[in-house]
Amino acid sequence: MNDISEAFVSSLGLILFLDAELLEIILLSFRITFYAVLISSILGIPLGALLASTHFKFRNSVVSILFGMMGLPPVVVGLFVYLIFSRSGSLGWMGLLYSPTVMIIAQVILILPIVCCLTFQIIESLHTRYHEFFRSYRIAKLKSVIAYIVDSRFELTTVVLAGIGRSISEVGAIIIVGGNIDHITRVMTTAIALETSKGNLDLALGLGIILLATAIVLNGFILFLRGKYLKTPGSTI
Amino acid sequence: MASEDTQININDLSFNIEGKTLLHNTNLSLNGDGITVLLGANGAGKTIFLKLLTGLLTPSSGSTTFQSGNLSIKTRAFVSQEPVILRRTVLKNMLFVLEKITSEKSTLAKELLSLMGLDKKEHQNALTLSAGEKQRLCLARAIITDPEILLLDEPTANIEPNSTTLIEKYLIQKVRSSRKIFFVTHDINQARRLADEIVFIHNGRVIEHSSAENFFENPKTREARKYISGKIN
Repeated sequence: MNDISEAFVSSLGLILFLDAELLEIILLSFRITFYAVLISSILGIPLGALLASTHFKFRNSVVSILFGMMGLPPVVVGLFVYLIFSRSGSLGWMGLLYSPTVMIIAQVILILPIVCCLTFQIIESLHTRYHEFFRSYRIAKLKSVIAYIVDSRFELTTVVLAGIGRSISEVGAIIIVGGNIDHITRVMTTAIALETSKGNLDLALGLGIILLATAIVLNGFILFLRGKYLKTPGSTI
Repeated sequence: MASEDTQININDLSFNIEGKTLLHNTNLSLNGDGITVLLGANGAGKTIFLKLLTGLLTPSSGSTTFQSGNLSIKTRAFVSQEPVILRRTVLKNMLFVLEKITSEKSTLAKELLSLMGLDKKEHQNALTLSAGEKQRLCLARAIITDPEILLLDEPTANIEPNSTTLIEKYLIQKVRSSRKIFFVTHDINQARRLADEIVFIHNGRVIEHSSAENFFENPKTREARKYISGKIN
């Protein structure tokens, strides 16, 4: 019990005195999360909006597959990306394995379906309200998709936040493709796993506190936004 | 603009869904001006008929022609019973339906909002308007597209009386002379106030088509007589 409380106090010291190693790991985590969520949002939000507002032959199958992909096991995604980017893999020539770039790619594969499906759910309800109006005024597809995104902008903020939450706490995929290399690909989650196994509880706990705080702040923010948007006229939440 | 010379021909129009016929083979020839009120009880098929005219529904058979050619969708504007309001300002709602926003159109938008009593609310979030104001906005938004035919599906069904009065007054004084209006209602008094001609629909069939005066003075069918006397709702 004493070891744990000592480690806890020591970890608070690392946070308060802005330990260089701790900071480096935190910044890399945030950088990878930022790019992964940015790419997922740029691709996933318009795709979700398009799917929600378009009817085509295999739409239900596509939507079912996408919803199924929301629960992709991260280690399987990690293995899949590893095989592609390993030296003998089809994209091995790019030399991206064990780099932050490939960690971002793995995270995009994990987050994209989440962003896309949550966007789909939000915009589908808006589409029910708007589609007859858009059709009667012959609004072009691109203009209507933009209108769906603009008009559900508040709700879509929570989608982005959900993506951030998923990304920042992910470990299975990025430890496989990133390799948890010190100063290069070590992020909060992989560092916690490593330092715990080494018995270095100070750093592991310090990172754990930061990660937990991030998750709490993000979820708190999502709840705050939901409460705020529920009071907004036209809310689809 | 629709005029006295233009003619709307509805040829053998019908609409079926899941083996059920909601509109039976309808043949009508309508003048291209004035207000045609589609009258009938709830579930008679008025909205289906209107949506077929708008192009929102595809007929199972038959067609609608405007003069000699096919009716161009560009010349029609539809206002539904439930106002569809975008999550933006009143003015931006107006401008959204335009392909190109010119300074003339912006001025026209403001004029139309003024006519609808919404000039002081043009920068307000349109979703915060009252039900009547929303419907007035929808009507103004339809007019700014300069449609030849205006199709209104019970636009005053759920709104406050002053908005109903304003809309009716606007349609009679400003729109009737320059456009063809189809107006769906089951309010007989409203039909009396607005209609130049009546199309009476019962159980998915057009069973009467005559001038408003003839319809109310001398209804030909038993169903129309019952409806006018309030025995069918």
